[in-house]
Amino acid sequence: MTDKPLRLLLAFDDRFQRDRDQPATFLHRRDRRFALDCQQQGRSPGIRAWLAHLDRLSGAGADRSQTPGSRYLQRWRALGAGFIAGGSLLGVAAMLGLLLYEGGQRINVTVFLAFVMLQLLLAVVTTVQAAAGWQPWHWLTRHWQTTEKSPVRTALQPPMAARAAQAGGLAFATSGLITLLIMVVIQDLAFGWSTTLDTASTSYHRLVSSIAAPWAWLWPAAVPSLELVEATRFFRAAPDAATTSPPQWGQWWPFLTMTWLTWTWLPRLALLLATHFFLQHRARRLLARHPGLTTLHYRMETPVIETGNQHSDADDLPDTRTRSELASLPVTPVCIAWAGAGRDGLPEELVPTSSRPLSVGGNARLEDDDAVLQATRQQLQQQSRPQVLLLTRSWQPPTGELSDFLEQARQHWPAGTRVTLVPLAADPGLPPADHLLQPWLRFAGRLSGFASVATVGSTREANHE
Amino acid sequence: MSNPSPVFAVVGHPNKGKSSIVATLSQNDAIAIALEPGTTRQQQRYPMTVDQQLLYTLVDTPGFQRPRRVLQWLEAHSVSASDRPETVRAFVREHEGDTRFVDECELLKPIIEGAGIIYVVDGSVPYSAEHEAEMTILRWTGRPSLALINSIGDDDYSDTWQAALGQFFQVVRKFDAVRAPFAQHLSLLKAFGQLEPAWEQPLQQAVEHLASQREHRQHQAAALIAEALIAMMRFQETRTLPDQQATTDPQALENNLRERWYQHQRQREQTLRANIETLYQHQHIQRQEAELEWHSEHDLFSESTRQAWGVSKGYLATAGFGAGAVSGAGIDALTFGSSMGAGALLGGLAGAVGSYLYGDRLTLPTLKIGPLKNGLKTARFGPVQDPQFGYVVLGRAVDHWWHIAMRNHAGRELLELEPTDQHWLEGLDKSHRRSIQRTLDKCRKQRQPDQRQRQDLIIAIEQAMKVYEQWRLNHTAS
Repeated sequence: MTDKPLRLLLAFDDRFQRDRDQPATFLHRRDRRFALDCQQQGRSPGIRAWLAHLDRLSGAGADRSQTPGSRYLQRWRALGAGFIAGGSLLGVAAMLGLLLYEGGQRINVTVFLAFVMLQLLLAVVTTVQAAAGWQPWHWLTRHWQTTEKSPVRTALQPPMAARAAQAGGLAFATSGLITLLIMVVIQDLAFGWSTTLDTASTSYHRLVSSIAAPWAWLWPAAVPSLELVEATRFFRAAPDAATTSPPQWGQWWPFLTMTWLTWTWLPRLALLLATHFFLQHRARRLLARHPGLTTLHYRMETPVIETGNQHSDADDLPDTRTRSELASLPVTPVCIAWAGAGRDGLPEELVPTSSRPLSVGGNARLEDDDAVLQATRQQLQQQSRPQVLLLTRSWQPPTGELSDFLEQARQHWPAGTRVTLVPLAADPGLPPADHLLQPWLRFAGRLSGFASVATVGSTREANHE
Repeated sequence: MSNPSPVFAVVGHPNKGKSSIVATLSQNDAIAIALEPGTTRQQQRYPMTVDQQLLYTLVDTPGFQRPRRVLQWLEAHSVSASDRPETVRAFVREHEGDTRFVDECELLKPIIEGAGIIYVVDGSVPYSAEHEAEMTILRWTGRPSLALINSIGDDDYSDTWQAALGQFFQVVRKFDAVRAPFAQHLSLLKAFGQLEPAWEQPLQQAVEHLASQREHRQHQAAALIAEALIAMMRFQETRTLPDQQATTDPQALENNLRERWYQHQRQREQTLRANIETLYQHQHIQRQEAELEWHSEHDLFSESTRQAWGVSKGYLATAGFGAGAVSGAGIDALTFGSSMGAGALLGGLAGAVGSYLYGDRLTLPTLKIGPLKNGLKTARFGPVQDPQFGYVVLGRAVDHWWHIAMRNHAGRELLELEPTDQHWLEGLDKSHRRSIQRTLDKCRKQRQPDQRQRQDLIIAIEQAMKVYEQWRLNHTAS
């Protein structure tokens, strides 16, 4: 008897439980790759191959016996062995009890038959219990589940318990049968039948004949004759019939052996096999419906999509601390507009200072920038504290070109000239939004004292419209 | 390489949202996005692969720093229009390593190597002609080009931008990197494919894969929510302790177990949040602050939260969802039968009234102390007996999923999960409600739902997600 489907299910479930902590993207990549490799090699990416592949990748030395599934199987095997050992001992004890003969009373065939029927009933109940999912053995296995909960292993409990019980029952029947045969050989057993009921020998003969029907054609001697039935009836209150010869009392043993074999041993064997196959069937079905299998198939069948999200520089942000502060707006006639700033109108504060700022940057040519630098130089030379207003658009952040322009200006303009950057908002009447102003303050800070930032426009509550 | 995959260089003026566009399209929330010009100093490539087959590559580049000087150099070295692409190549070759033009070289390099141009501008600020120098340089490269009008601020100057950009670029599209819905991402990628005939197929393939990935993610999210819901509904806090300890102060013991039970449930919920975010490739959401605020103001178990997250008393009365709550009084079968069997709105009076009265509060589990065994007793707290708890968890989970699924990877703002003020589960049909209710009922009895029930629950949650999406759509529209 093989446990292959069961072992496969448990191994798959172990892998499923282990994979739960792995990122889904990793699992997808891993399993898709396996499926693609199989496709290339013309193999089918089955579960067994998949598990073997994963084991192979992990290398030799893995202790498979320590996985929860293996431990579960080992525990059930141990429990099954316990049932078999217990069953064997009980079988011997029960048969010895049934065949207890001190030379006084006969061994009652009726008791023997009742015991056989009880065994048959127990075997059927065990099977029904497994099919219905009852777990009368639950107390035995309860502590197994405390740390390793798995719906799969829980669902396997009833058929596992039924198989262990049927194995124990078969052991019981086997050891009972062996004991019966040994006792027949080593002792002279005297069987008879007895019942309180007012039963005629013919009725009793009909009963035993129907019990013996399965083997009557095979071993006629194991079917008690009417004469034997009539001769071996006994009453505890009456002395033995003188007509019955001593060997006649022993002639029941072939019937009893075959009864035990047919109605106790064979049903147990058949039910053990049935339970075993039911267990394997349940294992196959649980595997087919395993939630992990659906996701595994999905991972194998669907391509791995990577959108370029591996790169991470989220922690590599620039230093955005602003060390400089806003300066006050100086009064100076020199006003330059960078990249079209102020073209849509100047703030009121700047109108009296300079109605026509000089245009540089943006659409202007580089030669025009140079010309403005030259022109303003002459203007600045006439001032005692040369100051320049440089209007910018606050939403167009400072660029390398502006930096170049200021660097050139520093070289061309008289020493001590100070530039005040004035970032304008889209609405000239308002000051720029704070988040737009911050880069300008940092930019001015990097120009080491040559430039500062001032704002124009009436104060507003929100820094944008 | 006979047919290399398309490369798209995302270029533009500094600080106009190039990195945001790339972050959204590459589903990467780990790209540095800062309101600081010059944050991107080197080109960064973001390849889109399917089973390691490269379909396209996005290249994030630094912004133009000295376009006029570059253009001056180009004009000085060009004789006719036909030599312009070669002149741009010559510029890059000559100035590689020159610190003045490091940004221009970085951004022009992928273009001269064959990349398509995605030129990004900010449509929330006025158009200015100073961009013309950089647009002219890009035109000189002779590469296929598309202009994207991104919106960083609230104002809208996109019309003037559109008119101006139309003179320089083959295609002009509006795309809000932070707010654009997923369908627009796909449409934009398709537009990239239109730039050159050879690019159409890989981009079409990419769009199909991304769409199916999106669909499957929704199913996976439903499975994650179902798993968490079952675990939380079934959870029982246990503690084994000596007999004396168990019986001297049962109130203290109950408080202790309740606290641990709450803690576990919150942790499980947080795990679900993290799993959903990972599923949608959101690894850097600033959720912790929001979570703390969320929890302190809208505690999972408070009455106001219960109502806000989708289990109002009126709803319980009409839908009969409170049926399971009265099971302790033995009316469970009666109400369940009437409310679930005959239909939610036709729910039996007993069920509806029972639910309504019970809707006042969530029934929390009570302490149960087991029999003495080996001198020890086991105290148990849970599982929760009221299925409303499940609806609270489900409502919050679906809401969080929606925010994550709709969130673009360029978004850097705090994720705030505000309670909703209406009952969206009303839109869920009867059979799906039944699936949810059945599973919750089984869980509160601490039984494992079987595979079929789990599958049904996942389908019902997926449906609930669609209902929620629709409800959100209508809610936003109205």
